[in-house]
Amino acid sequence: MKIAVCVKRVPDSETRVKISPDGKSLDEAGVKFVLNPYDEFAVEEALRRKEKAGSGEVAVFCLGPAAAQETIRTALAMGADRGVLLQTDKIPADPYETAKLIAAALKPDTWDLILFGRMAIDDYNHQIGSLVAQLLDLPCVTAVSHLDIQGAKGVAEREIEGGIEVLEFPLPAVVTADKGLNEPRYPALKGIMAAKKKPLEIKPVQPAAGGMEIVALAPPAERKEGKIVGEGAAAVGELVRLLREEAKVL
Amino acid sequence: MANQKQGDGSREQFIPARYQPSLPLDKLIIQDGSEGAGDRMDLDVLIVGAGPAGLACAIALAQLANADGSELNIGVLEKAEALGEHSLSGAVVNPRALRELFPDLKDSDFPFRMPVSRETVYLLTKRGRLRLPTPPTMHNRGYYVASLCELVRWLGGKAEALGVNVFTGFPAAQLLVRDSAVVGVRTAPAGLDRDGNPTAGGAAPNDLVAKVTALAEGTRGLLAQTWCQWQRVPSDNPQIFALGVKELWETKQPLDRVIHTLGWPLPNDAFGGSFIYPLEPNLVALGLVVGLDYRDSTLDVHQLLQTLKRHPLLADLLAGGEMVEWGAKTIPEGGFFALPERRAGDGVVVLGDAAGFVDVPSLKGIHYAIQSGIYAARAIFQNLQTGASLAEYDRLVNASYVARDLYRTRNMRLGFRDGFYLGGLRAALMTLTGGRFPGGKYAMHADAEVARHVGAETASNGGVSKVDAVFKSGNATRDTIPSHLIARGDVPPEVARFYSHMCPAGVYEAGDGGGSLRINAPNCVDCKATDVLGPRWTPREGGSGPKYKRM
Ligand SMILES: Cc1cc2nc3c(=O)[nH]c(=O)nc-3n(C[C@H](O)[C@H](O)[C@H](O)COP(=O)(O)OP(=O)(O)OC[C@H]3O[C@@H](n4cnc5c(N)ncnc54)[C@H](O)[C@@H]3O)c2cc1C
Ligand code: SF4
Repeated sequence: MKIAVCVKRVPDSETRVKISPDGKSLDEAGVKFVLNPYDEFAVEEALRRKEKAGSGEVAVFCLGPAAAQETIRTALAMGADRGVLLQTDKIPADPYETAKLIAAALKPDTWDLILFGRMAIDDYNHQIGSLVAQLLDLPCVTAVSHLDIQGAKGVAEREIEGGIEVLEFPLPAVVTADKGLNEPRYPALKGIMAAKKKPLEIKPVQPAAGGMEIVALAPPAERKEGKIVGEGAAAVGELVRLLREEAKVL
Repeated sequence: MANQKQGDGSREQFIPARYQPSLPLDKLIIQDGSEGAGDRMDLDVLIVGAGPAGLACAIALAQLANADGSELNIGVLEKAEALGEHSLSGAVVNPRALRELFPDLKDSDFPFRMPVSRETVYLLTKRGRLRLPTPPTMHNRGYYVASLCELVRWLGGKAEALGVNVFTGFPAAQLLVRDSAVVGVRTAPAGLDRDGNPTAGGAAPNDLVAKVTALAEGTRGLLAQTWCQWQRVPSDNPQIFALGVKELWETKQPLDRVIHTLGWPLPNDAFGGSFIYPLEPNLVALGLVVGLDYRDSTLDVHQLLQTLKRHPLLADLLAGGEMVEWGAKTIPEGGFFALPERRAGDGVVVLGDAAGFVDVPSLKGIHYAIQSGIYAARAIFQNLQTGASLAEYDRLVNASYVARDLYRTRNMRLGFRDGFYLGGLRAALMTLTGGRFPGGKYAMHADAEVARHVGAETASNGGVSKVDAVFKSGNATRDTIPSHLIARGDVPPEVARFYSHMCPAGVYEAGDGGGSLRINAPNCVDCKATDVLGPRWTPREGGSGPKYKRM
């Protein structure tokens, strides 16, 4: 099976990010970057599909700055075979521009399966997978929590409100991974060593500005401070009063 | 046993060592080739711990190999998920050893934050402060304030650029041996369930085998302790430790100097003090360091730091500011007489804090750690080339300023054994006499052998709670991990309460009515205080524990 996985380098969710003085971007100083967690599910799924098929290739594509080589190496350490970095210092605000560049990079090859994470945890756009599918004229199944491949046919499960939806689709196809699709493997020492020697191709790209612009970033409103009403049974009366009169939840 | 009455019959006391399990040497030392490992990897040199000591050793070795045109396969194991995430220090850094490691670089090339231009030492009372003349051993002019996390990440980058393999997220858990030689380590498994059984997505331990293994695990190193006990390497005095609890603050008020304080809020029979270092004028590292031979079982270093912050000196500085990080770590404080008699053996060397290279009066270990790494690299390189003995490492250290500095202050910390005021007087005399007073050497007890009198429980005095503190350490260890702490099942209530105060991360809780000891193991930030005084610490799944950024 020949599988492409598209990944993004994102700030670690535990990082306390700061907004740059320009008010439109993140201050990257001191921020730790990781492989987007949803993309980790995608990489893991690709590896399992290849292992199950007994042969094939898993190629990792990433659009990002030079430092994203490390992100690709993480996927190579997990077991992917080769990486391609579409190198640019500026990831476009318009997902369509990113999708066009990724689609163009994927196009020359034929893939049985193209995997993405459901979304990147930094911009929450949920768009790239679907856009690339459209640009390559492939079927697209998003937010997949279980995947089965039977010959040239895929069966996917999606968690929807109150239940599970089961879908069938023909390969090749684009699938975006949700949490629960699998449990990504721990990196192995041998894998980390091997990753250093795996091919990583760097292709500079110049994304167009596109039709969107980030005009402002703002931190979420600060949570109001909690209040300790008192301790033990004596405090219950006051608590009920406050819940009723101040919080108005009773 | 517990509840022993002292002479006057008025106080209850106990000796922590009575309740401390011993090191399980039979589990910590395994024969090479023992079953149970997944991958096996062969290296020329294996370094355990990516702190300043381990990384300096790796860099110096790679430099020697490059200069010689030979190829060395060097691997560094680090238990933190990423470089620097388990590194915590003050820190005012003496650049001496870094200059030796990078002769072509200038001080401005090092990842320092600010040069130390002014410094002040205060003796605090509850509301007052008395400015003391800075003792010569505490002079920091010409040194730099730095974050050890940042220094470690920078050193790691240098090492990788030289071809060193740095494996983060892989704790060494066992020594691999052949006869009396160390031949490598076995790493901790990952992905175990709460009962310690492997799970489908888990990873088996790995065996790393090398011609020489350098143990650079930092303070209270597990494998360094194991090797010393196994090979019966003695020291004149047992090693003793202090616990440092540290916070990083973004302040509204700028700070233009490094400050040390002594006195309040420490009780007179505890040894320690605080450090207040500006990384930037408005980014202040603030910590309290207390010797683990304190006498009152309810002494709580984290709580004392919270108390200290209410002193006008700090309250003014921190007003309107925000605590952005929190962490804790122990420091070996035994000095010269607690050094293992030798730090080199068959196939093994011990570096940095793991060996005890810390100068206590100046609270410095980073440059000694780096220097010991450089010396170890020279000895290892010779050993690989000519088969010369690794004892060369001991010779180099003993002939250097590392041993000289530690010898000069050899009795300084020991003099504080009897509490601050008496100890302070002695320290002053020792400084004046170049360490000669009082002559001879003080005998010390291991911290766990020092009797604790059962103090009265007092209500928490506010400040940052231990729960919030652990959150600010970045610790996100999964809560389904098996406990890595070896505790005895039969600890009496006063000892359980002692543990709950000792641990800065709130890992131990004494049950209501003082019954059983509850252990919230995932909260652990690997400070190692527990291993000194209470339940034993062992490595757990890689990447567990804190994620320090600028500590
Ligand atoms: C609160 C405090 C303040 C200090 N202030 C100063 C100061 O101002 N100036 C100064 O010079 N020194 C200071 N020190 C001392 C200094 O930080 C240490 O001496 C120095 O960090 C020692 O370096 P090291 O490389 O030996 O150990 P460490 O820096 O502790 O590094 C050891 C590394 O090994 C890793 N490790 C441990 N066990 C394992 C294992 N089994 N497997 C894999 N990895 C492992 C650890 O995670 C860690 O990354 C201070 C220390 C503390 C705690
Ligand atoms: S359990 Fe021990 S090592 Fe862990 S944080 Fe508490 S005292 Fe430190």
